[in-house]
Amino acid sequence: MISNRPVTLFLIALVTLIIVIASPFFGSSHTVSAEIHHQILTEIRLPRMLFAFIVGAGLALCGMVFQAMFRNPLATPFTLGVASGASLGAALTVFLGFSFTFLGVDGTTFAAFIGALISISFVYYLSRFRSNFSTETLLLTGVAISFFFSSLILFIQYLSNITDSFRILRWLMGSLTIVGYHDILQLLPFVIICIAVVLWLSRELNLLVAGDDLALSRGVNVQGTRLLLFFVTSLCVGAVVALCGPIGFVGMMVPHICRLLIGNDHRWLIPATLLFGGGFLILCDTIARLIIAPAEIPVGVITTLLGGPFFIWLLIKSKI
Amino acid sequence: MSTLLDVNNLTVTIDETTLLSSVSFHINEGDYLCIVGANGAGKSTLLKVLLGIIKPTSGDIAIHQQAVSRLNQKQLAQHISYVPQAHDQQFNFTVIDFIKMSRYAYHTALSDWANDDQEAFELAIAITNTESFLQRQMQTLSGGERQRIMIAAALCQQASLLLLDEPTSFLDPHYQAEVHQLICQLNQQHELSIIEVSHDLNHAVQHSSSILALKHGEKMWFGASSAFLDTEQVHTLYDQQFVFTKHPQTGAKIALVSESL
Repeated sequence: MISNRPVTLFLIALVTLIIVIASPFFGSSHTVSAEIHHQILTEIRLPRMLFAFIVGAGLALCGMVFQAMFRNPLATPFTLGVASGASLGAALTVFLGFSFTFLGVDGTTFAAFIGALISISFVYYLSRFRSNFSTETLLLTGVAISFFFSSLILFIQYLSNITDSFRILRWLMGSLTIVGYHDILQLLPFVIICIAVVLWLSRELNLLVAGDDLALSRGVNVQGTRLLLFFVTSLCVGAVVALCGPIGFVGMMVPHICRLLIGNDHRWLIPATLLFGGGFLILCDTIARLIIAPAEIPVGVITTLLGGPFFIWLLIKSKI
Repeated sequence: MSTLLDVNNLTVTIDETTLLSSVSFHINEGDYLCIVGANGAGKSTLLKVLLGIIKPTSGDIAIHQQAVSRLNQKQLAQHISYVPQAHDQQFNFTVIDFIKMSRYAYHTALSDWANDDQEAFELAIAITNTESFLQRQMQTLSGGERQRIMIAAALCQQASLLLLDEPTSFLDPHYQAEVHQLICQLNQQHELSIIEVSHDLNHAVQHSSSILALKHGEKMWFGASSAFLDTEQVHTLYDQQFVFTKHPQTGAKIALVSESL
């Protein structure tokens, strides 16, 4: 399986392509004229599908980077509390009614990015200053950070008026409902920067998986690499969370499955994770749209429903 | 013989604990140095400083007359390679990928696998006789096999100095002998300079050319291996009584832990 990586990657690409082509055609489309149907396709479903692909690819990639850096499949931006930091930042801007744009990036994205950066720095310093810090402890710290930020979000919700409170709640469920191509353009630069940096550092990631000491002895500037990776994943997670809320577990399931399929060499794993992550989220979103059609449920509910059991499976499998 | 590594007054202090204090020694090209000492004597710290994992508080290290502090991590990796302890680490790489990864120091993000890389790779495989493992997964290897791959990977890095951190602890006697033999072969036939941290006094005395004994972070003794057991210092080094006898086959002097308390 692992010995034939080009074929595996091709199959992953093929499955993703099928999902991409098929998904816009699913959905309630009865009693509408051909013209309206066309409009629904090009102006609603197509941008939403593109959006889902970018979000899925970005989240999966950030999860992959975390799993590699902490050498544990359970370590992702969500389990380590980074996404809840971003959520808190975003919820704060809703509560305070901030609405500014800077260089075409809105205030919520900035706040989410700063929230992500704060929690990631916390995790980073914990993992660095206590070199004998076990991953289990790190994960528990992440859980604690998540709880802490979640309660702050609840506090903000409690203080908000009913409309804001509902907006925050709805957004916390994780949703891909977007207005149009504008949202895609908001997100795309962050995800592209993240992808470019991670691709650039794929050899370093390989060596980080083998351990910090070994990576250093092979010539990797471990600290610089880590800082850069933390920074770009914060950017990416912040941007995603600001726009669609915390969509959980994509970053855990997708890269882990890809590792099983294609192995640990990041030069192959990165494209596989991007494709599979994008396709996976489109699939989840299509299910979310269809399951109680004509109403739809937030996609975050679907991914978390899948992710919870997956997490437990990983936990049992990894011998603890 | 020209000097390969020159360590001068090396001191490492972390959180107000002095791990190494004013350690000086040097090795020539082709030397095989064993670092011995009790647990916590600073052996691993010294190795980590040489590898650039820990930055020294004061003192100088020079390799090939170049100050290590002025080399970046990649340049350092072209001079010094490393074999870690043989404990269980989980990484799901195929052996071939893992060995090839150690050519990192010669690459940029966009460079391709070149002829030099292939030659270094093939030589490392040939020396360590690991051809038959190449397609296996790292985590399916036994401790001894894994250690041979670790050595192959370090060789592939083509550094002139190889550091080994207790390469044979956790291995059974058969694999211990095999790995020791391989290290000696690298030193004698392939003219690789070696620094090995070892708890095996007799191995250190028999196989290495010089010994550095550390106690409480200080240099206690440094000199030719053949002279090491002649001193009473072995007792002081480990706070342990030893008796000396001759190896039945080679006649070399060996140290055994004394039974009397």
